[in-house]
Amino acid sequence: MKFQFDSVQQMLEMAGHGHYVWTAVLVSLLVMAWLLVRPLQLHRANLKFIARQLRREQRRQGAGEKQQ
Amino acid sequence: MASNRHWTWFYRLGSPRWFYETTGRWLPWLWTLTLVLLTAGLVWGLGYAPQDAKQGNSFRIIYLHVPVSFLALAGYYLMAIAGAIGLIWKMKLSYMVMKSAAPIGAALTFLALFTGAVWGKPTWGTYWVWDARITSMLILLFLYLGVLALQYAFHSQESGNKASAILALVGTVNIPIIYKSVDWWYTLHQPATIKFTSAPSMHIDMFQPLLLMIVALYSFYALALILFTRAEILQRERKATWVCELALQAGKDSAGEAG
Repeated sequence: MKFQFDSVQQMLEMAGHGHYVWTAVLVSLLVMAWLLVRPLQLHRANLKFIARQLRREQRRQGAGEKQQ
Repeated sequence: MASNRHWTWFYRLGSPRWFYETTGRWLPWLWTLTLVLLTAGLVWGLGYAPQDAKQGNSFRIIYLHVPVSFLALAGYYLMAIAGAIGLIWKMKLSYMVMKSAAPIGAALTFLALFTGAVWGKPTWGTYWVWDARITSMLILLFLYLGVLALQYAFHSQESGNKASAILALVGTVNIPIIYKSVDWWYTLHQPATIKFTSAPSMHIDMFQPLLLMIVALYSFYALALILFTRAEILQRERKATWVCELALQAGKDSAGEAG
């Protein structure tokens, strides 16, 4: 197994096909990264939302007890 | 009693909490595996695999195009089967998996079309043709988007789940058409490079990194599906005690970090 290119420059150019190959690679990696980052964002947002909701309920209950 | 025990795994599998906790333990391994496989596969395919005699270096797009297309199709089966299990056994978790599979499948189908178009330009001289394979993949994209859209089209989650599952099942008709399209209509898209029934029609030095990338994409798919499903579990089970405890704990942890 041998590295096919002599320099970074050559690897970027890929004998004239570089922009096709690297466009495909770049877009693929971006979309794939989004598929991993997006659910993590949702995960965190859901936890935050639930915690906020619970604290609000607790406060409301606390206020209710004081009135009684 | 024996038959009872036989079925417990099935019910446990249907429990969102069990799924959430078990996959939580797998995640560090799955992240590592996915990143290692993807890096190795890409470096091998882009740097070390020999170039194609006819296509030159543009052929290297195969290391993304074929794996994402594989998973775009396999993901559809998974989504349809999850939908069917939800319809038959009314399993909540199954619907969550079905919904999670939709955006991943749509993104991978888009990538299959996009990398195909970019590859088509230097090879066929055009980005797009209404070839049978390409058209049926476009239909696959719309099916994924349809399943996702139906999730938001109803007030009740239950109706959305059923509608999505039915569309997913009806859409499976498209899958054999995609597979067979290159044989039935011999137009521009080349026939499959890899078949389970015969040796691959490419040199072993080119084939090995492709195989590695396919394995890497399976691992990536599993990771993405688990992550989306976990987020969905929190969303749909937000009233469950264990989720509430989890949310309060996470709130404390992040407050501690900030302080």
